[in-house]
Parts: sequence; structure tokens; C-alpha cells
Amino acid sequence: MNNRNIILVVLLTLILSFNLQAKNQLRVVGSSTIFPFSSLVAEELGATTTFPTPIIESTGSGGGIKLFCKSNNINTPSIVNVSRHMLIKEFKQCQSNGVTDITEVMIGFDGIAFAQSKENKVFDLTKKQLLFAVAAEVPSSDGKSLIKNPYKFWNEIDSSLPKREIIIYGPPTSSGTRDAFEDMVMLSLTDKLDVYKSSGYKKYNRVRQDGIYIPSGENDNLIVQKLTKNRKAFGIFGYSFLVENEDRIIAAKIDGIDPTIETISDREYPISRSLFFYIKNSHSKLIPSMDKYISLFLSEDIMGEDSVLTDIGLIHLPDELRNMVQNCVIERVKLTLKDIVREK
Amino acid sequence: MKNNTNPFYDVSLRNRHAKTKRFKLFTYSSLIFSLAFLLFFIVDIGIKAFPALKQTYVYIDVTYNEKSMRSSRAAIDRKYKKIVSRAYLREIPKHIKQNPYLLNTTVKKWVLADDQVDQYLKGHYSKLKSKDKIFVDELVKSNLLKLQFNRTFFTNGDSKVPEFAGILSSIIGTILTLIITMLFAFPIGVMAAIYLEEFSKDNLLTQIVEININNLVAIPSILFGLLGLAIFINSFGLPRSSALVGGLTLALMTLPIIIVSSRAALRSVPNSIREAGFAVGLTKVQVITGHVLPLAFPGIMTGSIIGLAQALGETAPLIIIGMIAFIPDSPTSVLDATTVLPAQIFTWAGMPERAYIEKTAAAIIVLLGILVLLNSTAIYLRKRYEVKW
Amino acid sequence: MRSSIQRIEEKLITSTLLIASIISVLITFGILFSILFEAIEFFELKSFSYFLTGTEWSPGIENSKFGALPIFAGTFIITIIAMIVAVPVGLGSAIFMSEYASYNMRNRIKPLLEMLAGIPTVVYGFFAAITVAPLIVDLAQSVGLESSFNSALASGIVMGIMITPVISSLSDDVIRAVPDSQRKASLALGMTSSETILNIVIPSAMPGIISAMLLGLSKALGETMIVVMAAGLRPNLTLNPLEDMTTVTVRIVDALSGDQSFNSPETLSAFALGLILFFVTLSINIVSVVMIKRFKEKYKVNTL
Repeated sequence: MNNRNIILVVLLTLILSFNLQAKNQLRVVGSSTIFPFSSLVAEELGATTTFPTPIIESTGSGGGIKLFCKSNNINTPSIVNVSRHMLIKEFKQCQSNGVTDITEVMIGFDGIAFAQSKENKVFDLTKKQLLFAVAAEVPSSDGKSLIKNPYKFWNEIDSSLPKREIIIYGPPTSSGTRDAFEDMVMLSLTDKLDVYKSSGYKKYNRVRQDGIYIPSGENDNLIVQKLTKNRKAFGIFGYSFLVENEDRIIAAKIDGIDPTIETISDREYPISRSLFFYIKNSHSKLIPSMDKYISLFLSEDIMGEDSVLTDIGLIHLPDELRNMVQNCVIERVKLTLKDIVREK
Repeated sequence: MKNNTNPFYDVSLRNRHAKTKRFKLFTYSSLIFSLAFLLFFIVDIGIKAFPALKQTYVYIDVTYNEKSMRSSRAAIDRKYKKIVSRAYLREIPKHIKQNPYLLNTTVKKWVLADDQVDQYLKGHYSKLKSKDKIFVDELVKSNLLKLQFNRTFFTNGDSKVPEFAGILSSIIGTILTLIITMLFAFPIGVMAAIYLEEFSKDNLLTQIVEININNLVAIPSILFGLLGLAIFINSFGLPRSSALVGGLTLALMTLPIIIVSSRAALRSVPNSIREAGFAVGLTKVQVITGHVLPLAFPGIMTGSIIGLAQALGETAPLIIIGMIAFIPDSPTSVLDATTVLPAQIFTWAGMPERAYIEKTAAAIIVLLGILVLLNSTAIYLRKRYEVKW
Repeated sequence: MRSSIQRIEEKLITSTLLIASIISVLITFGILFSILFEAIEFFELKSFSYFLTGTEWSPGIENSKFGALPIFAGTFIITIIAMIVAVPVGLGSAIFMSEYASYNMRNRIKPLLEMLAGIPTVVYGFFAAITVAPLIVDLAQSVGLESSFNSALASGIVMGIMITPVISSLSDDVIRAVPDSQRKASLALGMTSSETILNIVIPSAMPGIISAMLLGLSKALGETMIVVMAAGLRPNLTLNPLEDMTTVTVRIVDALSGDQSFNSPETLSAFALGLILFFVTLSINIVSVVMIKRFKEKYKVNTL
């Protein structure tokens, strides 16, 4: 008989805990690059207000959009962090699932750095040289056809570069940083080189697989360890990670430009991208903490020039742009297909 | 034995004895190897975890007034800006609201210091500039800054501010998840074991079920995660990252283990007990519930505790169902998103700030401690209630 | 006499118990189906034969190739390294504990070995990545070789330690189950203890020992956390254990928590790999169970 009482009590507590769950928590999913920024704002919100802390998950930009665009249901994430623009096909998928009222919020910039151990001399590369170091196929010496990438040393690509073995630790295929790198370095350049087009590739973004480019997790402690132990190697990762470890690694100049806050925000640095999050406007009324989270994120203290997020490596928007974004959010400007196409 | 007059003497005997000695040595050293690894491992983790015991605090004036309510940076002296933890500062407005009598007072107290100061004090690499380091050294000399016992590790949940991060929310999450796991796995597992041991006939269906169960014990845990994702989140629509979904997924994994160990326990009860029960006119169910089950109970308990301990350490399936998220709050119900201790370890192991390494190692020690406790309880129960037939 | 209520109650309870045991079958089929449909979708997009035998794994926007051989090779190599560590150590420890150790020693050591089994794999992963891998890099450098920080050797060794208790515990039980009469007979004929063990006991226990090794193998194949934290992400078809390579389980985790757009072949490839993993571990487990059954019949042992 006693056992039965115990079981009843346990069941009762569980049933009660089911009922208590009426609060809707704010769910944010998406890019692993934006994850540290979102988490920090979420924690601030939870610590300084009575709202429950929003739940931030690092699923990757593509995976995040998949969850976001599934439906308008309150169970789906309300905000998705994306380290690139939403793609046309993703927007269409959202529309077809009824997720039609979304606003795009730009939060800052990110540069992709090509860095090495600080003990080396400063390295200067052009985008083209970087392409030839990374691509699976490069133009042959007569420029008429494509051959498998034979370059093992930097000076083979260009005699002005030092005689150093090419070793690159970069993001894996599942990463948004990799997408951005392929987009800005490979696609944009090979578009202009006829030899790729004539060999039958409309777009070329294949990275070499012979072991010279080694996919690794990004924002990893291990990458820094690898770069300091193996001084010949380079690493590809986001600016925020560069800032975290500037005692041990230093970025190479691309086309003569250093990745700094200024060069990335004016897009002078050739491998820069913008960071966004997209919000479901229909969730604002249902989730009380959502508006506060967004306005907190966009506030000057958090996202401005000498703010909490810039401390951890976010490259901030210039003030006028930030005000514009704030207005967009207040008015809940609806995202349309034209906006996406235009930004491409 | 060297004597040629001994009829049993064989020339090869010396070699054979030598071989025996070497063989024994080999087996002995393989045992020592595993134990040595265990020792090396514990010592290494312990060394890494040790700095987490203490956290740096600094003794300063904190001014509570109108200005500090709006901007916490105004509550302390400018020169301490880099020294004091941001997490402490952001609590100040809330603190004043809750304790209005503090308004317009200045209090001297120990407050949490920034993780860079903490790392510097512990002798690790720190990003402090040289002038800050000199300032810190002065404070240490005048006893205004020192290492104290790290309470925050046990009272706080996860945080992006390294000095403020703790394991509380993951521990509560673990407890909730494991309650759900046992709630589902234990009854179903024991019932299935009873059926298989007592009721089933030796037909094809039974054999299929048996093969199934034996297989499930050894299936990679990540496949259970895929199943959990497909059924609990996609089909049933349960909230992602919740203790409920995590518990159910782990229950699927623990079920086969409980079935196997319960069957062994039931099997160990001699048939004479059952036959005696039938002899006095009891039904089969009465025999089982009244006699066999209570006798097999210690074995069932031991098996369940061991199953529980296994579930406690699982991470891979939980990654797939979304329990790797940043969740600083402790859960208040089983439907809240939460994280568990192994998942917390996994997340912290990947954080770039170096201050997290010691916290990860300390969390590992806590996890291992809980596991040792569980396993010892299981062994103790087994010894205490073991009945030798 | 039994009332009809009692009889109904009995039937009810019996049915409930039956349902409970059917649930386990449902779970197996559940796992199978949750993977099968997505995997079929993948194979509709990409060739199955190339998947099994192709050597290039390059997902991407165009001309993506999904040859999983390098990934299988990675799993294979790391597992082999793990078995090289685990089989001698596990079997050796089992032999020592069952044949040579005293009762007291055995009782004190057995719990310690169980401790190794109880360490969560994420902890092993942390240890492999933070301590073992740099150690191997240093060791390799000191002998003039070059090792990656994500070497297969690091994950393999730690994985081997992890499955050692599986092999040693089951082998220990099996060896003890061999009737003592065999040993005594052998010693009576004048064989030394090591000869007895090597020539009589071990061969008798062989089905059980093989079963133990297969169980360890299956565990190593399906191991996720250690490789996610310590092994690499690059499909690499090589025999050099100092290089980085990736495994089936790492690819599954990576594909499901990564950045691709939905329903891309890369995400679906996780399910295809999961399907292969499921069938391979299933086959190994079945063989293992069959062998233990044969051993039980041979020696009429019921305690395994």
C-alpha cells in the first residue's frame, strides 16, 4: 500500500508540472558565428529583467532556417540567426509554409580572416593567390585548361611569396563560414576567369581534398593550438575568433588590406559579410520577451561602438545604419522577395 | 630439478617455466596498464579541475544611488572597471530594486572579479594589459583581491561570462531527465522481463523479441537520437530540448538494459519457490507478484541503477534532439528546455575562453563523483540483499 | 475457486506484460524506419554503388560526389587501433583475474575495472582531445614524424581503453565458466599453467571470447563522442594513423547540426550512413549472440 502512495504522489507532481508550463519561451536558432552574440544578449535579458532567459541554439544557418520556416506554430523558433542573406529558395519555402510576416534585422559585420601564428612575419596575399591555394583545380600554365591543383608551396603559386609549405585549417562543408568563404573568394573570382567557365562549370567552389586543406571545427581552441605548434599553417575563421586570440595569432593581409573593424565595416576588406537575424512578427504578441530581446540587442550599449558585443568581436554597424534598422523593426517592415533578390 | 636421475625431468622444462613466468607477467602488466591509465586520467583531470575550486574576488566600495540604477558602471570607482565582473555589475539595478534600503548608501564588500584577473592570479595566460597587471598585484599585496572558494560554480547555471558559469541548471536538468527516464523505462522494462521469463512460450515470436532486446543493448546511441528526433519531436510534436524528450529518448536506451538484468534476476529465483506457490493454490500472477518479484527485487534494483548510470553519461543522442543549447535558467517543469551535465561538459569543452577549461574539468569530476556514488549504491545493494540459493 | 474477476484480472495483467515486451520490438523497427525513409530519399538522388565504393566525398552545390569509402576507412582504422589496444589488454587482464589473481585481489580490482566502463564517453573525448592528442603530436615530433592534432591514433587509443572493460569483463566470466576439471586434467598431465591456459582454457572459451571481442568491436564502430571531439572532419583514405580522418558517426552528427539548406543531399547522407551503421552493428551483434549461445550449450552454463 505504501508503494502505491509514493507512486501517486510522484504522478501528481508530474501532472502539476505539466500544467505549470504555460509560459512560452523565446527560441532562437541559427548560425554558430552569431551564437555567442545571441547568447550574451539572452543572458543579459534573463539577468536584468523578470523575463525568462531566451533559449539560443547553435544549429547552423541552414539548419536554423529549416526549423524557422517549418511553420508559424508557437513551437517553432521565433528568431533565426543567419550569417548570410536568406536564399531565394529558403524564402519561398517559408512562404509556402505560411511563414509570411518576417522582418530582416541586420546586426553587424563579420570578416573572415586568414591567420597564422603571431611569431611569423606578416603575410600579404591577393585573393587570386588564395584561390589558387585552396581550389581543387587550377588553370594550367598555358591558361587554357584546368588541372588538378599541384601547388604544394606558396612560392609555386607566385614567386613573390615565400617558400613555405601550404597547410590550411578551414571550416568544414557544414559551416556557414565555409559557404561565405567559397562565395566571396572562389565563386566571385572564378566567375571572372574564363577557363573555369569553358571547362563546363557554371559556378566553381570545390576545395582541394588532397590533405592540404584540412577541415576543422571553427572557433576551436584546437585551431589556435595547431597554428602555434605548426608555424607553417594557416587557419580560416571569423573575425570574432581572431580577436579572442590576438595574443597568439595574426591575420594575413588580403589584397593589401588588414581585417580590422574599419576595413570590414566599409567592406574594404575583401572577405567581409553581414550578419542578420530574421524575426516572425506573429510571435511578438504571444511571447512577451521577444520585443524586449530585440530592442535590447539593438541598443547602443549592446550593439554600438564600444559595447559589450564589440568586446567579443562583433563588428558594429555605423550609427545611422543602426537607427535605420531599429526603425525597420519598430515598423515591422515585411520582407519581400524583391528585397532578397536585390541583395543578391 | 636439474638432476639427471629424476625420471620426470624434461630438458624443455626450464624454458616452459620461463614461458609461464613471462605469460603471467604479460597478463599482470595488461591489468596494470588499464589501472595505470585510470590513475593517469583521474590525476590529469584533477589537476585541470583544481583551479576551479577558487575564484577571484575583490574588495571594493559599491555605491547604490540613482545613477547606478541607470548605469551600473557608475556604482564603482572607474579604476576598477576592468577588474570587476560584468555579471556582478548587471545585477546591481535589480539588487537595488529588491533592497530599497540600500539606496544612497555606499557599502564595502567582496565582489566577483573578471575572468581575466582570475586567470592571471591563477598563473594562466591572461589578456590583461601590463598596467592592469600591476594594479592587480598592488591590490593583492594590500589584501584587497584574493582567491576564495568558488560558490558560483554550484549556485549558478551556464553563462557566457566565464567567471559566472556554474553547473546548477544542468544538474537540475539531469535530475528531471533521469526521473522521466526511470519513470518510463523501469515499469515497462520490468514488465517485459516478467513476461519473457515467466509467461512466454518458446515460439518464434519470443525468439524475435529476445534477439531484438539483445541487439538494442549494443546499438550505437546516436541512432536512438535519430529515433527520438523522428518520433518525439517530429511526430508527437513535443518541445525540443525538453527534459521530457531527453528522458524518453534515454528511456528507449535504458529499456533493454533493464530487461536483460531483470531477466537475470528473475531467473536466479529457484523454481522451487514457484512450485511451492502453485502447490498451495496460488495463481501464476499471485506467485509472481507475491513471491518471485520480491525475491528478485534486489537484482532488479541493481540492474536499474546501473542502467541509470549509463543513461547519465550519454550525450550523443541528446545532441540530436537539441539539448546542446545555451540555457542558463534552471528548468521548472519537464517541458522546459534544459541541458544535462554531460551536454554541459561538451559545450564548455568547445568554448574559446580559456577560463572554461578548468570549469569543464571540474564538471567532469562532479559527474564522475555522481557515477561512483550510483555504482557504489548498486554494489552495496547487491551485497546487502544478495540471497544465496 | 477463482472468481471471474480474478480471471479477467489475470488476463489483463498478462496482456499488459506482453505489450511491454512488444515495445522493444517496436523500438528496433522505429529506429530502422526513422532512418530508412530518409536514406531511401538520399539514394534516389545519389548512386548507391558509388556510395559504397567511391573514394571522393565532396558535397557542394554542383557535381557533388558522395563516395563514402574514405569515411568507412576512417571508422575502420580507428576501430582497428582501438581493438589493437583493447584485445591484448582486455584479454590479458581477464586471464590474470580469473586464473592468477587471489580472491581478495579479484574482489578489489574488479570494481576498478568497472569504473573504466562507467566513465562517460564525453569525458573520454575531452581527455583525448586535450591531453592525448597533443601528447602524440609531441611524441611524433620527437621521433621526426609529423602528426595531426586530430590523429586517428589519439581517438583510437582512448577508444581502446574505453572498450577494454567490455572485453575483459565478458572474457573473465567466460573463462571462469570453463569447468575446472579441464584445468586439473591438463595440470595432471604435466603442463605448466601458461600452457594450460593457452592450449586448453582459451580454446574452450573461444566462442565466448570471440563474442566479447565482437561486442567490443560493435561498440567501437558506433562510438560517437570520442571521435566527435578528437578526430577530424576530413574524409581521408589513408593507412597512416597519424593523419586526421573522419568516421561515420562524426559525419552523422556534423550533417545534422550543420549549415546546409534543408533536404540537401548532405543532410540526407547522414541517414544513409546511419543505415549502414545500423546493419553492420546488427550483423555483428547477431553473430555475437549466436556464439554465446553455442558456448552456453557446450558447457551448459546459465550464468552468462
